[in-house]
Amino acid sequence: MVVHVDKLLSLYRDMWVIRAFEQGLEREFQKGNVPGMLHTGLGQEATQSALAAHLTATDAFFPDHRCHGINALAQERHAGNGRKIMAELFGRATGVCSGKGGSLHSADPAVGNYGDNAVEGSYMATVLGVALAYQLRAEPSVACCIIGDGTVGRGEFHESLNLAAIWNLPVLYACVNNGYAISTPVAEAHASGDTVDLVRGYGITCAQVDGNDIEAAYEAVATALEEIRAGNGPYFLEFKTWRWQGIFAGEFRPPDEVKHWKEDRDPIKLARARLLEIGEVDEEELEHIKAEVEAEIEGWIQFAMKSPMPDPAKATADVYVGWEVAGK
Amino acid sequence: MTTQTDVRTRTFVQALNEALDLSMDAYPEMFLIGEDIGAMGGDFGVTKRLWQKYGGDRVRDTPLSEAAIVGTCVGAAMVGMRPVAEIMFADFLGECFDQLVNNAAKMHYMFDGQFTASIVVRTASGGGFGGGPHHSQSVEGWFLNVPGLVVVGPTTPADAKGLLISSIENDNPVLFLEHKGLYRTKGEVPEGMYRTPLRSAAVARPGTDVTVVAAMRMVNESLEAAEILSGNGIDIEVIDLRTIKPYDADTLIESVKRTGRAVVVNEAPRTGGLASELSATISEECFRDLKAPVTRVAAVDAPIPFSLELEKHILPGRDDIVKAVKRTMAG
Repeated sequence: MVVHVDKLLSLYRDMWVIRAFEQGLEREFQKGNVPGMLHTGLGQEATQSALAAHLTATDAFFPDHRCHGINALAQERHAGNGRKIMAELFGRATGVCSGKGGSLHSADPAVGNYGDNAVEGSYMATVLGVALAYQLRAEPSVACCIIGDGTVGRGEFHESLNLAAIWNLPVLYACVNNGYAISTPVAEAHASGDTVDLVRGYGITCAQVDGNDIEAAYEAVATALEEIRAGNGPYFLEFKTWRWQGIFAGEFRPPDEVKHWKEDRDPIKLARARLLEIGEVDEEELEHIKAEVEAEIEGWIQFAMKSPMPDPAKATADVYVGWEVAGK
Repeated sequence: MTTQTDVRTRTFVQALNEALDLSMDAYPEMFLIGEDIGAMGGDFGVTKRLWQKYGGDRVRDTPLSEAAIVGTCVGAAMVGMRPVAEIMFADFLGECFDQLVNNAAKMHYMFDGQFTASIVVRTASGGGFGGGPHHSQSVEGWFLNVPGLVVVGPTTPADAKGLLISSIENDNPVLFLEHKGLYRTKGEVPEGMYRTPLRSAAVARPGTDVTVVAAMRMVNESLEAAEILSGNGIDIEVIDLRTIKPYDADTLIESVKRTGRAVVVNEAPRTGGLASELSATISEECFRDLKAPVTRVAAVDAPIPFSLELEKHILPGRDDIVKAVKRTMAG
């Protein structure tokens, strides 16, 4: 692989940001400190880190429900305040949406985060409009939507691919195929378990990459964005990966499969082995990165928990632009 | 209301076309999107000649992809554009319900004011012409329960133009209902850009005995009823809501307090609709001023059949309004 060791180290650190973020969040969720529902990106750190490394603050990305990690990385990289994503998940005034969006609706356009819509696939229609505006205004930006394999079943999936193709829009479709839509195996639910098989008919350039190999994922995103920025229209990139989280609290997948992905295919373990193989860093240095990141994330959690709750006036604010809505 | 004084006679469709043309000229960030709106000029001719004038980038034809049409509008608005969609028939809004309800209407709120969904979704609604179950519905009731959405429904050609310009300039998502039965109606329409204010009802006919509230084609049915009733010595006041959500409760309440009687008219099915909502507000706000119960005139709770002979047994009209007013006067 051609990824420079410094870059690989920085990606390694980014993956730890995501893992520590999600594990800390999971812990606090179990303690009852995080309201609502929790879908983590554990196991999918490489895909999110690869995307975060290449998307700029003037691109737009639509995260999915497991994207706390990329949201935090974008926030940290472009505004130096990743902790605002943590605060949002705790429903606090200091969150990116003042606690009004939460896990499923965190957005900050200043860092390129155009927000999740918790009806999966909905933003596959929205992404067209952002990309069309870029095209009409001759801006070099790319609009990216991060989707899961379950989204393939939505009508918007097909409407979006068709229009992006015929209008030649600058859209990166980043499909995180983790094998299951909640409990439904992708290959049982769709005509093909490989999403790219369904996309090729639209005439869109497709690629499939090992989503747990950070070097491969990083290179694949770079290639996709180059193609799109060169004016070659939309690009569909499928990351083959696996999510650590079962269904809510339980596990439903065969023990062998769980063991394989968590032990043999853990993207962080793989990156660590690769870095040690290259030999320019030692185990101690890698441990230090991990410890440093974990301490930083604990700081974000403390920040979130100590942050004030939103002002009650926020509950009825911004329903309409310019018009008030009566309270209770 | 307007600095232009040159008033011409125009159809409802021509008035809408003028509003789009003037706005496209004034706002480079605006574009039109929908099915057959380009060279063909739209199913009802509302976008006629605009494709020829502004080109295919700004008057954009699409396949049958209503979710993508509205989603494209929302996304473009998130980055500062001002799109106007045409959904050929209001009955098709089910195909883009999620985009309107979960996306456009909530975007400004759930992302804490960081985005606006400054879009207009124009659509042909209403029945009375034998369009059958999927080309005749009045859908305003579907959207009354959606905070963040604006629903507008003009009656006169002058208001069609003024309300459409106001809707385009407004930063909220607007569902703009165009009743098919009004498209060919004619009226005086001022020249140039002017705005009919949103959230402001109009008194279509002043009166003293009963307040009749309606929107779109039902305003005209109410005005016809007024002529018949005046022959019986009953003088009704007809209020044209113009903005259906959020509606102008003040004008409504002031009128009912004065007349002491109210009939609410809506072309959509009776249960849980606009008529029910208006009736509830009048009952809450005007109870002590009422001389008779508030009466609803609405469609029967049934789909709309194709045969005109059957359709007239479902949709409300002039004669139903006359009957309801007389009953109210007797009560």
